[in-house]
Formats: sequence, C-alpha cells, structure tokens
Amino acid sequence: MKKAALFIPCSVNLILPGIAVAADLVLKRLGVTTVYPDSQTCCGQMVYNKGFFDQAKSFARHFIQVFENFDAVVCPSGSCTAMVKHRYPTLFDDEPSMKKRAEILSTRIFEFSEYIVDVLKIEDTGAAFNGKVAYHESCHLNRDLGISAQPKALIRAAKGAQLVHMNNADQCCGFGGEFSVAYPDISNALVGSKVKCYLESGADILVLGEPGCLLNINGYLERNHPGKRAMHIAEFLAEQGEHHGC
Amino acid sequence: MDVKTESYVAEAKKELVNPSSRMFLDFFLPVLSAVREIGLSSFPDPQAAVERARAIRRQSVGRLGELLETFERNAMKAGAKVFWAKTAADANMYIRDLINRHKIPYVTKGKSMITEEMGLNDVLAKNGTPVYETDLGEFIIQLLEKPPFHIIGPAINIPTDEICRIFMERAGMENPTNDPVALGQAARDFLRDKFKHMQMGITGVNMAVAETGSIINVENEGNIRFNKSAPAIQVSVMSIEKIVASLDEALHMLRMLCRNGTGQKLTSYVTVDTGPRKTDEMDGPEELHIIIMDNGRSKIYENPKTREVLQCIRCGACINICPVFRQIGGYPYGWAYTGPIGKLLNPLLLGLDRTSDLYGACTLCNACKNVCPAGIDHPSMILYFRNRNMEQDQVLNGKGATFSERFFANTAGIAGSYPILWNTATTIGKTAVSRFGSGHPLVKAWTEKRAFPPMPKKTYRDIRKK
Repeated sequence: MKKAALFIPCSVNLILPGIAVAADLVLKRLGVTTVYPDSQTCCGQMVYNKGFFDQAKSFARHFIQVFENFDAVVCPSGSCTAMVKHRYPTLFDDEPSMKKRAEILSTRIFEFSEYIVDVLKIEDTGAAFNGKVAYHESCHLNRDLGISAQPKALIRAAKGAQLVHMNNADQCCGFGGEFSVAYPDISNALVGSKVKCYLESGADILVLGEPGCLLNINGYLERNHPGKRAMHIAEFLAEQGEHHGC
Repeated sequence: MDVKTESYVAEAKKELVNPSSRMFLDFFLPVLSAVREIGLSSFPDPQAAVERARAIRRQSVGRLGELLETFERNAMKAGAKVFWAKTAADANMYIRDLINRHKIPYVTKGKSMITEEMGLNDVLAKNGTPVYETDLGEFIIQLLEKPPFHIIGPAINIPTDEICRIFMERAGMENPTNDPVALGQAARDFLRDKFKHMQMGITGVNMAVAETGSIINVENEGNIRFNKSAPAIQVSVMSIEKIVASLDEALHMLRMLCRNGTGQKLTSYVTVDTGPRKTDEMDGPEELHIIIMDNGRSKIYENPKTREVLQCIRCGACINICPVFRQIGGYPYGWAYTGPIGKLLNPLLLGLDRTSDLYGACTLCNACKNVCPAGIDHPSMILYFRNRNMEQDQVLNGKGATFSERFFANTAGIAGSYPILWNTATTIGKTAVSRFGSGHPLVKAWTEKRAFPPMPKKTYRDIRKK
C-alpha cells in the first residue's frame, strides 16, 4: 500500500477545494493512502516571485519541517511543486544543513499526474469522459518540471476521451500569479489568445494541471464563452460516470 | 537614444490595440519560432549543437579578459587600430573625432544594436554629420524617427503604405507604391548614391575571434559588406562580450545564430575581416578601427550571477517566443534591447530603479530560457532583479520595497510558520475579498474582463477535518 502526503496549494485550499477532493479521490481509487498534514501552510512562491527571498525562506523552513518525513509528497500544482523542487535548494546556499534537507525533499515531491504515471506506473485510472479533450501545457509543469507526457497519457487512457491537438498549447495563458492583476491588459490579451486556440481545437473540454491557469482561463471563459470550460486533471480523472461533453 | 522604460504600461496598452503591430505579432512571430525549430532540426543532433553553443558562450565569457587581450594583439598585428571605450560617450567621441580629423562629409552605417545603445546617431547629428542607415529596416525607422521594434527586424511591423509615404517625403521616391520590391528598389537607389561617395562606414560586430583578430558580421542585405569594403575608413564597434576564442567556435556560433534568428542555416552574407586592406589586396578599407566598448559591462561581469547575461549572441529567439512580447511588441521596452533579453540588459545597463516594469511584467513561463542557444536562464535572472530591487541593491540601483510591500511579505513570512495564524489570516482574507473586495484595484484588475469563482464556504482543510 502506497502512502502519500497531500500538499494542497493555497489557491486550491481556499478557492478551488474541489481539486483537492478530486485528487484525493483518484489517489484512493488507485490504492494510495493519503495523509493531509494539518500544519501545512504555503510554499511561499508568492513572496518569492515578488523578490522577497528571505521571507520565502521562512515558508521553506516550515514546509520542509512539515513534509520531510514522508516518502512521497503529492501536489496538484506544477508551479508550487517547482517552487519546492527547484527553488528551495537555491534558497539555502549559505546554510548547508538546510540545503541538504531541501534537496532530499526535492526528490520526494511529485506533481499529481507525474506521481500517478511515473511512481505508481498507472495510466488507466478508471476515468471516463465522453468527448474531445484539449490539453493546456502549463508553463511550470511543462518547462520547469518537464511534465507533459504524463497528463496526456492519463487523458488518452480515459474511457471515451479523445485527445485533440490545440495550437500553441505550450504558450503561457497569461496568469503568472501577481502578473495577472499587475498587468491586467497583457494578461487578458494572453488568456484571450489561449481561449481562441481552445475554441479552434474543437475540444469539448480543456484539461490542465495548474490551479492558477484554471482560475484565469475559466474566469475568461465564463465572461466570454459561457458553457465552455477548463478542468483540472484531478477533476477530469475523478469523473467515472456517463459524461457527454459540455 | 532616449530612455523610455518608465512608460512601459502606457506603451503596452497602445500596442495591444495597434492593428499593424498585431498583424506582425500574431502571425509572423509564431512563424519565426517555427522556422527556428526547422533550422535546428538540420543538425544531426540539435540538442548537442545547442549544448555545445551554450558551453562555448559560457567559456568565452569565463575567459573574457584573456580572450579580449589576445584579440587586441592579433587584430593589431593584422593592422587594425583598437580603441577601448569605457563608456558610450568615449566611443561616440572617438568616432566624432575621427570624422572631424578626416573631414568626413557623411557616414553610412550597417545595422547594429550597439550604436543604438550608444546613441551614436544623435551625437553625429549634433556634430553636423549626416548619418545614413543602410539596412532597409534601420533606414525606414531612421526616416520615421522610430525606435527599433525588434533587434533583428527593426521595422518589421511598419506597413508598406507608411513606408511609401515616408519614402516619398524623405527618400526621393517619386511614384507611390505598396510593392515591397519597388520600395526596396527605391531605398537601394537612394543608398547607392551614398555608397558611391562614402568615405567612412560604421558597423557593429556579431563576433570577434581572439585567435585571428577577425571580426564577423552576419546580414541578409549586403549593406554591411558595403560598409566594410568600400570606404577608406571602417569603424566597427563591439561590446566586450562579443568575443569567441577560435574560428572553429565562431563557425559553430554562426550556425546557431542564423538558425535561431531567422531559421536560416546561414544568412545571405557573412563577412570575416582580419585587419584593413593589405598592400597586395584590391578591396577593403585603408584604415580599420575596432572600438571595444564596455559601457557598464565590467560591472555585469564582476557579479557572478549577472555575468551569464553577457553570453547573449542577440539571435532574437527569446523575443520571438516570449508570450508577453507576442502581445505588446518591442516599443514598450523603451530602449535598445527588447523582449526577454531586453528585460535583462536594459535593467543592468540602466539600473533596476527605472526598469521595474521590464522585469516585473513577466509570467516566468520559461519559454525564453528553453530556446536560448547561449545558455541564459532569464527567469532566474528576473527573480534575482526583483530581489535586488526589493533589497535596494546599491550596485544595481534597486529602489527598495514600499512599506506595504515589505509589511505584507514580513507578515506572510511569519504567519507561514504558524499554521493557526496562517489559517486565520487566510480565512479572513478570503472573506474580505469576497465580501468587500469588489472596489479594490487588484480585484478590479481581475474582474474587469474575467469572472472570479464564488468563494466556497469550506476550505479543503475544513473538509478534511470532518
């Protein structure tokens, strides 16, 4: 029996808890016992990206302490995973003992779809979706963590789902955390062109693995193309019943 | 040239709805990125070629001082005059004095970003020396008095009717036309006359080869070759990082530069010059002046973190792939360099305090880093700039965090270590945003064009507790 600790990003905990519920459900269905360490707070990416490295360090210290005793930590976000996996070790260049702990944790943290495909060695999760699916290659999953084949394999294995090509699938949707509100004009233009590619793909649903992109794309869709929507891969895989697109 | 980096947001807003910029940005940039891929696929092992290029650039910058000295020695041995310019002003003054000493009536120029950085044209105009840009794109924007839109395609966004208008007004074209070939011919007719009587040509340098003292230029129009071969005096300006150790390395970097910039295996013209005309040679300048300009780069070099930026070969691949550039084009960057490399070079050369939107307006998508043949990690550098700005770095001119920014970060940092505090604070924050947030500028920035989902009653933490 595999055991994994869930690291639930702030955006999911506070705004989109359905993603965490779905991720938990899918993992349990695949025979994983999940633990939710109650003392988890935040990875600190928000202050880090703003340039406050020292403050990010105190988030990192707490995070490492909470999660370092688990063999596997699973997170339904590429950018939060990348923060822990790639940024934490660099934060402690002047503290060898913390750096070592950060590096060890860095080998134990997995993005949700990566964990299922690369660790559990499962592609068919028992999911079912009747329709065409486009996949948005979120930047930090795709380029920071190199995760692209895994989520697509999971989508292909879903019963009834047909993965279709989407132009510029790997171009940023324009979220970028604070970027989305600091530069709303550019951000809106970017999400507009992402949505255009989604609509042109002819897909019934847009699946992605990043809560930030999800908020951005769904926010734009709801205002401009009600009826069309994006879905987190955990929610997509949680679906097992008859589903007839959107 | 004027520094307009502080009007980034206003310029970006204009460009987002500028139809002629949109046309180029929406259609041509994805094409440029695609031809780059095709170009790279002509290597037996594209990834190996990229890795070799990254290693060459890293090593060239690592050996910068030694290679520059070797270059100087070999260039002088070949007969070139080498001038070390500490600042742009020093370089400009050297060129101005040369012009005045030889009583040069006008100069022609090949396309170069370094002379944009130096503001050479303005200095020469003040000296009363007419300057003719001979690259078609540079020629167009010089007439229009516009800054370059893109480092390798300075006028690529200008529609033909605007070119027609300005050519009739200022370049002696008689009959209106929108035919690109006819417009090109008009520029050619105008410039041929300047080439005929030219006495001094000024160019940039794509690469300087230490072992031979040669300078290399890449282009597609042949005007740089004209500027290097026809006049009696040739002046070529290079920044210190243009150096490579050997011809072998230079040739590999040439292959990378062309493929990454335009998707070509090689540009139409590549010129390698070693010294001025020898006594037994028919062509070439009588005098070759090579200006090696620092202009703040030693400072970039001294900092082991920022040194990497000097690895850039100005291919433009990062610009073409950048999602933000693809929306706003080159004007908002407000100075010589645009796109992701502009986000790094402009702040380093101008100071973090006046360029905060350049490294601020980035989604950290990593596309630039991914394509860079010189091995630059742009996102990491951007984060470093944000940090140095917040910490008021003296060398980089950081302006420091505002009181509220620092207060928020400090409070978050503390709360992040105490789960009870964190959960209370975020729950209050969540309630505040959903109940009273609609008037807050940050909330408005989101909700103007995008919906925000209704806040759920329970957090995942609450759900899990049951």
